[in-house]
Amino acid sequence: MKTVSLILSYVLPVLYLGVVWMYYQIFTGRHKKLPARTSLVLAILALIHLSELVTRHLVLKTMPLSTIHDAFSFLAFSILLVYLIIELSLNNRASGFFIMGFAFILEVISTINLSWEKETNELLSNPTFAVHASMSIIGYTALSLSALYALMYILQNYNLKKKRIGSLQAQMPPLTYLENMSIRAVIIGIIFLGLGIMHGHFQANKILGSYIPLDIKVIVTDLIWAAYFIGYVLSRIYRWRGKWMAYLSLSGFSILFIVGVVVMYFADSFHRFF
Amino acid sequence: MIDYIPIGLIGISHKTAPVEIRDRVALSTEAIHVALQECKQRFELDGLLILSTCNRTEVYFSSEAYTNLFKPLRHWFDDYKKVDFFSNEQLCYHKKGYDAVAHFFEVISGLDSQIIGEPQITGQVKEAYNDAFERKVTDTIINKMFSFGLQSEKAVRHDTFLSDGAVSVSFAGVELARKIFTDLQNKQILLIGAGETAELAALHFKEKGVQKIHVVNRTFEKARELAAQFNGRAYAFDQLPEALAQCDIVISATASQSHVLDAQTLEPICRKRRYQPIFLIDLAVPRDIDPRVESLDGVYLYNLDDLNEVVKHNMQRRQLEIPQAKKLIGETIGQFKKWMAGHSMGAVINRLRHHFDEIRLKELERLKKRLPNNGIAEIDYLTQSIVNKLMHQHIRLLQKSAANPEDYQEQVEFLTKLYELDGD
Repeated sequence: MKTVSLILSYVLPVLYLGVVWMYYQIFTGRHKKLPARTSLVLAILALIHLSELVTRHLVLKTMPLSTIHDAFSFLAFSILLVYLIIELSLNNRASGFFIMGFAFILEVISTINLSWEKETNELLSNPTFAVHASMSIIGYTALSLSALYALMYILQNYNLKKKRIGSLQAQMPPLTYLENMSIRAVIIGIIFLGLGIMHGHFQANKILGSYIPLDIKVIVTDLIWAAYFIGYVLSRIYRWRGKWMAYLSLSGFSILFIVGVVVMYFADSFHRFF
Repeated sequence: MIDYIPIGLIGISHKTAPVEIRDRVALSTEAIHVALQECKQRFELDGLLILSTCNRTEVYFSSEAYTNLFKPLRHWFDDYKKVDFFSNEQLCYHKKGYDAVAHFFEVISGLDSQIIGEPQITGQVKEAYNDAFERKVTDTIINKMFSFGLQSEKAVRHDTFLSDGAVSVSFAGVELARKIFTDLQNKQILLIGAGETAELAALHFKEKGVQKIHVVNRTFEKARELAAQFNGRAYAFDQLPEALAQCDIVISATASQSHVLDAQTLEPICRKRRYQPIFLIDLAVPRDIDPRVESLDGVYLYNLDDLNEVVKHNMQRRQLEIPQAKKLIGETIGQFKKWMAGHSMGAVINRLRHHFDEIRLKELERLKKRLPNNGIAEIDYLTQSIVNKLMHQHIRLLQKSAANPEDYQEQVEFLTKLYELDGD
């Protein structure tokens, strides 16, 4: 089973790349038949990815999401699932290239960090860890999607303003759709990441004896969440819309991503589970 | 594969004749009905189909003697329409066999249309066919050509982008609006000017479900008349800012010599609307809307040139789809050829069997009088068996020659002559 899991771990980025190529073909309007097959392809990929996650944790007998490989892999899987639901419910494939492109990057990072060691961290042996991690991952997924929709909004706004007529403009969903999706995703992200963080603080109190442990990753995550929350509240009060909301979401996620990677690799944190 | 099909075509289209000539050769529905009946009888045609639209008048006919019928048919249509265009080789083209079939498939798929990929032609061909079918002037070959034609049209429409994208300025406006707004139904439109151009553009939006279309015009009475047509409100010209504040799409087409809308007027409105998108379509020449409004957030301005660019782009895209569409049509022709091979071989075999059976039954009838009843069943079985064996040889011969159309035709002609199958 270990061999199967390892093979799947290395094959997954290739499969994700194949899916990105498929959406690129649709995005550039080269194939008219392809859109009818995408949901099936995504569903198959989701099944393969799920098999990788399950076999790995069955063999290692650890809690899920405990390593960089697992976290990024689960994030990619989560984005894949959310996008599959969006595609099936809205029947729009134009955002697939961007969203699956991002999922591919996450899957590559995951595979680069592939390790086959059993986790020994005390925190991870707590069964409630899975709840904390899952909520946080769902929150991150939603914030990632919000940023991707915001990026597409900025691109489409630019195309329409500059009258760039071509496949890029033609294949993109409408501006108001992109804006609404970005805002909805931010709300979901704030709620789930907030719940994940809250759960984490309670866990920390139980295990470490403090609600707010002095850990760089915890502090940075709290700050980013607060920034998102404040940004969203301000946008509601002052009714910010369109381009500015898109910039806000995109810059928020860029900070989240960069700081997240820096902290994960360089900072000394009890969240360093690898 | 047999490459023979007894179909001919004569026609005049936008590719060979200007509109003045096309107008004169076009046939009304009644004229088509008369032509269908008369041509079928006079030229002893097996099948006939006449298609007459503003861009083409085409006559498809099937007959074993079709190669001899081009000239008389040209003359007949010249006499019928009192013109001499059908006899003119420059204006009136003719096609034979599968070239005629391929042309029909291209026509029904919109490939031969003036605006490539336009969908109306499919409906027009269907109408022409139904007319001919109801008058019982079509035969199996014309019926099958139509049904395979529809198949090719469906393949082209589904598998290529030949019919995608707006190819008129008004539709380009609608197409762009759908790139800005998710749902047009709850959007409000403002027409600046109550002329025909603005009205036509508004009609396209109404077709897409827009419920409210308001009108602002210098002559208030005209604004009121037009607004009433679209369930909208009429505004006097000095109420323009008020009207703009509640609309998401603005179509301007006035005869004004100066800008009727500028950035100074629009800026406070955008602020009031919290920079929600507003799509401005300027269809006027000279332009009604100051291009500087484009610098405002949430404002998307497209003038006539911009919309023409969209149309041009879509047309180019359609052009690029032609090779793929032709490939699909080629595949359908292949299927049609297969059907045709089976159909024509089947017809020859049926005639042969009928001929042999007739001889067999005649001889059997004669024998019945001379033989006791109990022996006739065995002889019947024996003769059937002999006929089957003879048929087998003939079928093998036909199948062998089917690889070469000329050989096949030769064999069919030989068998027809030998057994006098014409008379059956």
